[in-house]
Amino acid sequence: MVTKGSSLQVFSRPLGARRVVAPVIFALAFFIVWEVWLRFLPMSRAVIAPPSAIYTTIVNAFPILMKHTLSTLVEIMIGFMSASAVGIALGAAITLSTSIRQAFYPNIVGFQLIPKVAVAPLFVVWLGVGSPSRLAFSVFMAFFPIAVATATGLANTKGDAVRLCRSLTATNWQTFTSVRLPFAIPFVFAGLKVGLTMAMIGIIVGEFITGQEGLGYVIMFASSAGESAPLYAALLILATMGLGLYSCLLLVEVAVQRWYGAPFSSEGFA
Amino acid sequence: MRGRPQLSRTVGLPIATAVMLCVLWQIIVTANGIPEYILPAPFDVGRTLLASLPNLLAHASISGTEAVAAFLLATLLGFVAAAVLTYSPLLRDIFYPAIVGFQLIPKVALAPLFIVWLGTESASRITFATFLSFFPVLISTLTGLQNADPTAVRLCRSLTASDWQTLVSVRIPFSLPYFLSATKVAATLAVTGIVVAEFITANAGLGFLILSSGPRMETLTIFAAIFMLCIVGLSLYGTVALLERAGRRWFTGA
Repeated sequence: MVTKGSSLQVFSRPLGARRVVAPVIFALAFFIVWEVWLRFLPMSRAVIAPPSAIYTTIVNAFPILMKHTLSTLVEIMIGFMSASAVGIALGAAITLSTSIRQAFYPNIVGFQLIPKVAVAPLFVVWLGVGSPSRLAFSVFMAFFPIAVATATGLANTKGDAVRLCRSLTATNWQTFTSVRLPFAIPFVFAGLKVGLTMAMIGIIVGEFITGQEGLGYVIMFASSAGESAPLYAALLILATMGLGLYSCLLLVEVAVQRWYGAPFSSEGFA
Repeated sequence: MRGRPQLSRTVGLPIATAVMLCVLWQIIVTANGIPEYILPAPFDVGRTLLASLPNLLAHASISGTEAVAAFLLATLLGFVAAAVLTYSPLLRDIFYPAIVGFQLIPKVALAPLFIVWLGTESASRITFATFLSFFPVLISTLTGLQNADPTAVRLCRSLTASDWQTLVSVRIPFSLPYFLSATKVAATLAVTGIVVAEFITANAGLGFLILSSGPRMETLTIFAAIFMLCIVGLSLYGTVALLERAGRRWFTGA
C-alpha cells in the first residue's frame, strides 16, 4: 500500500525548455480566454468570476481572508503534527511484538478502506462546533496512513542489518534506534505526505460542517451567498497553502535523510 | 508456505481483537452509564440498524449507486486520459504541472465549486467524486504505459507496428497491473467524494443522514448510518479487489 518514492516519476525526464514554457503559455492563454470570454459573454456572478474580479477580491478583502487563512493554517499544522506524533508512536508500538502486530495491523489497514470522512459529524456532537472538534477530526483522518507507513517501514528492515546487530549483542532498543528507525525513514515520510493531505482535508471538511471560521467556511459561505469571487479567492489561497506545506515537508525529508547519511537509505545497506 | 496454525493466527487474531474491542466498548458504556446521545453501545447500534433498515437501505442505495457511477467514470476517463498523454508529449508537458499540483492540494476543498456549477442534485455529487478518484487512475496508468518493456516497444517499432497497435498489444497489457492497483484507491476515493458531496448538498444519501442527525443528537442513527456506509465502501472495495486479482491472474497467464 505504501510505496517509496513518488508515482510521478513518469515525468522525471530532463528539464527541457519546452517543459517550462509549454505549461506557462497554456496557463496564460487559459486565464486570458477566461477573462475575455466573461467580458463578451457575461455569466452569472454566482457561478463564475473573471480572474480580474478574483484579484480585486483578494486585494480588497485581504484582512478578512488573512484572518481565515491564519486560522486554517494553524489548525492544519497542529493537526498534522499531533497526527504525526500519534501515528509514528502507534506504528512503532504495534511492531514491538509479533502478536500485537498480528492483532492490530489488519484492523488498522481495514480502517484505511472505509470512508473515514463520514465520521466528521460525530466529532461535532462530541466536541462542539469550535476548533477542538476540527483538530480532533483532522488527527483522526491523518494518523492512520502515518501509522501504517511507520509499521511497514519498521517491519521491512533488512534482515542482515538486524542479524548483524544481534551478533554484535546490541539491545533491542539499540537495534531500534540505530537500524530500524533509519531504515523506516523513507516509509515514514511517504506516510507523512499522505497524512499532510489528510490533515488538510480533515480541517477543511471540519470547517465545511462547523461553519465558524477558516477558508472552508469562506468557501461554503461564498457559494451559498451566490458570490463566486471570494470562493475562487479562497480556493487559490488554499491551493497555495497546500503546495507550500508540501514543499516544507519535502525540505524536512531532505534534511533528515542528509542527517542520517547515505548508508541508511533503504537500498543503501548492501 | 503458510501452515494452517499460522493462518488461524493471522486471520483469527485480528478478528478476536476487533470483537474484544466491541465487547470492551459495550462494557464501558453500560458500566459508566454513558448517555446514548454521546456514545451508544454496539448492541443498541445493532438494534437501531435492524429497526430502521428500510430507511437506511434507501439512503445507502443512493450513495452506493452514485459511488459506483463515479468509480466507473473515473477509471474510464483516467485510462483514456493516460493513453492520450502517453502519445502526446506536448499535452503531457502542458498538463504536467497541473497534474502534480492537483495531487498536492486538498481537492476536497473544491466540492462547493461543483455545487455552484451543477446544482445540488446527483450530477454534482457524481462529478465531484469522479474528479476526486480520477487522478490516481491517471497517474498510475500513465506510469504503467510509459514503463512498458522498452525491448517490446522497440520490437514493435522494428516490425513497423503503428502507434495504435503498439498501444493495444504492448503498452496496455504492460500497464494493466498499475491500472488495476489504482482502481482500488479510486474505489475508496469515490465513496469519500460522494459522502463529502452529500454533506454539502444536504439532499439525500447516507452522508446527508449522518450530517442531519448530528444537530438532532440522534447519535444512534449516526452510528447506524456509518456502519451502513462501511458496508457500502467495503463491498465496493472488495468487488474491485476481487476483479483486480482476477485481472492480475489473467495478465500473468497463471
